[in-house]
Amino acid sequence: MLEVRDFSAGYQGNDVVHDVSFHVDKGEAVMIIGSNGAGKTTLFRAMCGLLRASSGVVLFKGHDVAGTPAQRVVRLGMGFVPAERHLFPRMTVQEHLSLGAYPKRPDPETMSIVLDLFPRLAERRRQRAGTMSGGEQQMLAVGRALMSRPRLLVLDEPTTGLAPKLAHEAYEALEVLRRQGLTLLVAEQQVPLAMAFCDRGYVLENGVIRFGGTSEELAKNPEVRRAYLGVT
Amino acid sequence: MTAVILDGIVLGLQFGVLAVGLTLVYGLGGVLNLAYGQMAVVAAIAAALGMDAGLPAGAAVGVGLLVGGVFGLLLDTTLLRPVYRLRGEARVLLSLLLTLGLAFVVDGLLTWQLPLEALTLHIGGGAVEILGVPMRRGSLWASGISVAVFVSLFFFFRGTMLGRAVRSIIQDEEGARLVGIDPNRMRTLILVSSGVLAGLVAVTRSMTIPVTVTSGISITIFALIVTVVGGLGSVAGAFLAGLLLGIINSVSSFYIGTFLTLIILLSAAALTILIRPSGLLGTPE
Repeated sequence: MLEVRDFSAGYQGNDVVHDVSFHVDKGEAVMIIGSNGAGKTTLFRAMCGLLRASSGVVLFKGHDVAGTPAQRVVRLGMGFVPAERHLFPRMTVQEHLSLGAYPKRPDPETMSIVLDLFPRLAERRRQRAGTMSGGEQQMLAVGRALMSRPRLLVLDEPTTGLAPKLAHEAYEALEVLRRQGLTLLVAEQQVPLAMAFCDRGYVLENGVIRFGGTSEELAKNPEVRRAYLGVT
Repeated sequence: MTAVILDGIVLGLQFGVLAVGLTLVYGLGGVLNLAYGQMAVVAAIAAALGMDAGLPAGAAVGVGLLVGGVFGLLLDTTLLRPVYRLRGEARVLLSLLLTLGLAFVVDGLLTWQLPLEALTLHIGGGAVEILGVPMRRGSLWASGISVAVFVSLFFFFRGTMLGRAVRSIIQDEEGARLVGIDPNRMRTLILVSSGVLAGLVAVTRSMTIPVTVTSGISITIFALIVTVVGGLGSVAGAFLAGLLLGIINSVSSFYIGTFLTLIILLSAAALTILIRPSGLLGTPE
């Protein structure tokens, strides 16, 4: 589904991520874990075309999308939910969801899948995004991305700013999506949550992938345990 | 008094349409187009030349609007290219300087080549009585067209996918890209529409007073004042501010004098910046 090879990117000539390689297979849920400032956001933004990549390859469904602008990457079927969400503050839930299907008309079937997944959004169809709580905004950001029927959903820190209960619910929703066959790639600082959910993961430190493996392997790794799971 | 206020409404509706063309380009692209009045004048002169060449008025107006749109397209694809590479205040500043330069060039070319050309559209027929005040048919046509423009704009922004896409870019450009909207294409669309709107205002204005080759700068100034008062990037704000300032304009030119009127309008803009910097209906950054 997605294969990233020797990928470097950053801001104004200063690379933040260096020669990163990883892959996500169809139907998998994969996490990129790392501390604040490790380069997770830069990696995702560059991969999705919001930021210029300096070198490397991003193979998505067989096409190299490195350097392709975000608006085209999205239409190829890679949905991205950024940590800052980037909703439209003065637009309603309904307007967000129909724009999510842009340039097509919103498909009623997809719409009902999204509203079943997030009943809160169904209750608040006429509410403006700017007046919603953090948890609701997160649901809306995911819902908007789902409206284009992506094959791969990339989420940058989906639990940022959410209370523990809501963070749990967010992962429960992702679990539903995964059972429906969606492939997922998640960047996360709340490692225990992500680890329980994902099949595999990679550890990103200072812009470099230190190691990767299945969730069980990572859970056993002494460095991961010390740095991310709070075990001494 | 009724007559003065009705005149103000006629003018105000046109002010509103005028401001929409400027405010959308600013809201969407962060570009302040000081050659906006020249867009209107070029469209008007094209229509006037069309009529000189024997075209019927309707067709000549069509040519004018087309020329306005093409002006917008050319601006977007040539002069504004380097502007789009900058962000934030640097972008606004460069756009301001480049379009001001363009305004001088257009003004110079027009006064040199076609100094006497002007657009006047005579709408025949006698006066029509409204609220006991005889109104010229030209004024009524101008108002009708302006209202129709607002209604269609409202429908476009609320009811169509494309209109929502434009609004989404104004609210969050990155979010818009993430749903697959190409900001460059929307910007081109809006600049072309801005040229057409400028042309349309020139046409409606010429139904009451002639639009001459030197009208550009005053059109830009009026558009700027209305935009500031209404709020940058707000169509409803432009409508409201247009009406308000149109009425202020008529009342003050009738009772105080034309010379002081511009000062009063500018004071209204200054006051807005001081008290409510985001304008009547604009949203604070």
